[in-house]
Amino acid sequence: MTSPALQNLIEQPYRHGFVTEIEADVAPKGLSEDTIRLISLKKGEPEWLLEFRLKAFQRWLGMIEPAWPNVKYPKIDFQDISYYSAPKRKKKLASMDEVDPELRRTFEKLGVPLHEQKALAGVAVDVIFDSVSVTTTYKKRLAEAGVIFCSISEAVRDHPELVRKYLGSVVPPGDNFYAALNSAVFTDGSFCFIPRGVRCPMELSTYFRINTEESGQFERTLIVAEEGSHVSYLEGCTAPKFDTNQLHAAVVELVALDDAEIKYSTVQNWYAGDKDGKGGIYNFVTKRGLCKGRNAKISWTQVETGSAITWKYPSCVLLGDNSIGEFYSVALTNHHQQADTGTKMIHVGRNTRSRIISKGISAGQSHNSYRGLVKIGARAENARNFSQCDSMLIGDTCGAYTFPYIHAQNNTATVEHEATTSKIGEDQLFYFASRGIAPEEAVSMIINGFVKEVFTQLPMEFAVEATKLLGLKLEGSVG
Amino acid sequence: MTADTHGYLASLLAAHGALPTGPAAWLARLRGAALERANALAVPTTRDEDWRFTDLSPLYKTSFQRAAAPAAAPADAIRRHFVPEAGSRLVFVDGYYSPELSTPQDDGEAYVGTLAGALRRDAARLEAQLARHAGFDDDAFAAVNTAYLHDCAVVAVPRGAKVGRPVQLLFVATQTERVAYPRVLAMVGGGAELTLVEDYLAIAEGAYFVNGVTELAVDENASLRHVRVQRDGEAAFHIATCVASLARDARYVSQSVSFGARISRLNHGVRQQGEGTDCQLDGLALVAGRQLADTHSFIDHARARGRSRQLHKCIVDGAGHAVFNGRILVRQGAQLTDSAQSSRNLLLTGRAHVDTKPQLEILADDVKCAHGATVGQLDQDHVFYLRSRGLSEPAARNLLTYAFAADVVDRIPVASLRGALEALALQRTQGKEQPE
Repeated sequence: MTSPALQNLIEQPYRHGFVTEIEADVAPKGLSEDTIRLISLKKGEPEWLLEFRLKAFQRWLGMIEPAWPNVKYPKIDFQDISYYSAPKRKKKLASMDEVDPELRRTFEKLGVPLHEQKALAGVAVDVIFDSVSVTTTYKKRLAEAGVIFCSISEAVRDHPELVRKYLGSVVPPGDNFYAALNSAVFTDGSFCFIPRGVRCPMELSTYFRINTEESGQFERTLIVAEEGSHVSYLEGCTAPKFDTNQLHAAVVELVALDDAEIKYSTVQNWYAGDKDGKGGIYNFVTKRGLCKGRNAKISWTQVETGSAITWKYPSCVLLGDNSIGEFYSVALTNHHQQADTGTKMIHVGRNTRSRIISKGISAGQSHNSYRGLVKIGARAENARNFSQCDSMLIGDTCGAYTFPYIHAQNNTATVEHEATTSKIGEDQLFYFASRGIAPEEAVSMIINGFVKEVFTQLPMEFAVEATKLLGLKLEGSVG
Repeated sequence: MTADTHGYLASLLAAHGALPTGPAAWLARLRGAALERANALAVPTTRDEDWRFTDLSPLYKTSFQRAAAPAAAPADAIRRHFVPEAGSRLVFVDGYYSPELSTPQDDGEAYVGTLAGALRRDAARLEAQLARHAGFDDDAFAAVNTAYLHDCAVVAVPRGAKVGRPVQLLFVATQTERVAYPRVLAMVGGGAELTLVEDYLAIAEGAYFVNGVTELAVDENASLRHVRVQRDGEAAFHIATCVASLARDARYVSQSVSFGARISRLNHGVRQQGEGTDCQLDGLALVAGRQLADTHSFIDHARARGRSRQLHKCIVDGAGHAVFNGRILVRQGAQLTDSAQSSRNLLLTGRAHVDTKPQLEILADDVKCAHGATVGQLDQDHVFYLRSRGLSEPAARNLLTYAFAADVVDRIPVASLRGALEALALQRTQGKEQPE
């Protein structure tokens, strides 16, 4: 099926695989109340947050690891993970120049030099290096607009009333196994608050990066958009190459009040393991947005190309009347990757609308599942949903699965779901060939056409990056 | 789940000892194996993914027992449900074969009769087929049914025979508080053709339990048309498994209609075991009141060049609840599979409720697979159009609801049955609670 030239393209080694040697402050392996107290102490947290963590931990102890996703992996030993690792620092940094040169070089290798990004894209970057936020740029400009954009530990210190009010309000500590784990041991993440009537002057972006072998990452992101505000948030990920599987269990909570709009975009390209399926990140994430007010809108866009196992369902709870939820996703799996991803649209309020566009591409020996839930509550008069999930298979050793659940409890609601599965056909390639276009280029064009509906939702810089990423990961898997 | 779900199976199996021993040793072994399996299994609860939306706890409250003896059948009431087109007919009353009401057949065209007769005729073929299609390894209800396998409707069509007239299998419940274990085995030989009508109905109102298993083996290039009608009493429980195995180039067309029962569940499986098979699976569930109709279908494309079409419709009135789970599996190597599935759901009231899950699992790349699902209400524009033509609002709604159902009913190949079901569908869509 696959020609050698194309094979080369598929087997592009992971280019971001390197370890930065920075002295890390790593907590001993294992999870207990003491570990949690240690994390809380190291971060100098208030009492209520420690209680929040301990309660979550108690809930977690009573929970069983979910077995329902369509993924297979060896059992995770939660006592064999270090729950805290922070780059050691001596003092607070005022500007980029003070950042550890070693760390700066890491970002340069990744192709995201901060100063360049500042100039070129005008993006404020809250860099997460392992678990502690190192620097935040453009803070001043945001502060002028009244936007708070900082690491969650800073937010706990500087805006405790906001964090306390919203933390756990969308994803309660006992929501699921991994959310409970995250609530107990989360170390850092981003916090973003857009006050009433403010349109965030720039796109907010965070680069996550997992460093330090065998340290699980438990990020916590909380975005609150007050009445009439608007924010677009970008999340991009790369991780160094390791042979030991790394667990990543993040929680992302979005809250949109009346007339607010949050757009959350992700490009995820973590280490997926080698072509024999060895290593790679376990990405077990809980992402949920709450349209709390009337006319609120939350839009998720994700491009998932990395991780050995992806298990995430960015969801929307449409509580406010007339609120809107959107989910645009491209999930690409190759080699031995497994992805079980999709969304949940919970319609509670009247006239709520949701739209799901999911594109799955499987190649190699990978398994790619779409799992979605559209729930129309009894009070959701005139709710409307449209879902489309298309799969593309490249090769005959991979699998594509669709598990769309539809629960309708209101007869004025309209729910539509459609799905198709296809492959890059011989006839399509022949047509391109007859127009003088080489198979490789043809495949790239067909795939770009297949995912276009989703990519047009991405902010410009991301769209460029994502198109390159797909090309790199997949181009020419068909011959 | 508060009921002792494990004890429930034991209570069903308590009467097993009273069963007469079968004439063949292999049959006794089969029953023994099923009994053993049934004892090892627990009945499903809503904690099982396959039963998430269908809560059987009302069933578990009553321990139904087999009818002690064949009831004196109200012959006239049963005869009203005879399909006049049928060439042969088997009638089972409360789980017992009724020779007076049945018209068996045993000639060059087909064998239509009981298990005992079939055993005398061709025991080897039966041994090779019986319980080979509907497994009971992880299905507690199929295991109990197989453990009680004693009387069984057998339809065997020899190679090349074209059975001109439909075969009707009628399962009638006349006693309440009883359980029946209907069992059907139909074998359609190579190149043969058969139309089979399976009809479940009640003469008596009240709670009873039907736990059925139907196995259909369609040989190479053979064709089976299968109509399954479930119009049990509104307090009844109906749980059934129907599995069709298709050999190379076989065709299977099925219409399955669920009108009755308080809780009904149909596990409808199609295994495409040879290349180039073709199947069509149509389903209609029409529920009202507090009824629940659950259909789990599984189309297994195991070989290349298979084709499948599925249309499943649910009409939910009152505080009814319809569940549909349509699983389509395209195995590795099943290239050039062409599969399309459609789940259409109509909610007539604010208290109606539907759960649908069209599920695709695809492990081959050169395939064409599509599925779609919709949930909605009657289109206001359609209602308006009919009203502009002088129809009253209820009449317009009834007509549209009926038309929604007619898509499936119209495909039934037996005219008189189609007529009867049309009448029943009309009656069910009328005079019910109007939409809010």
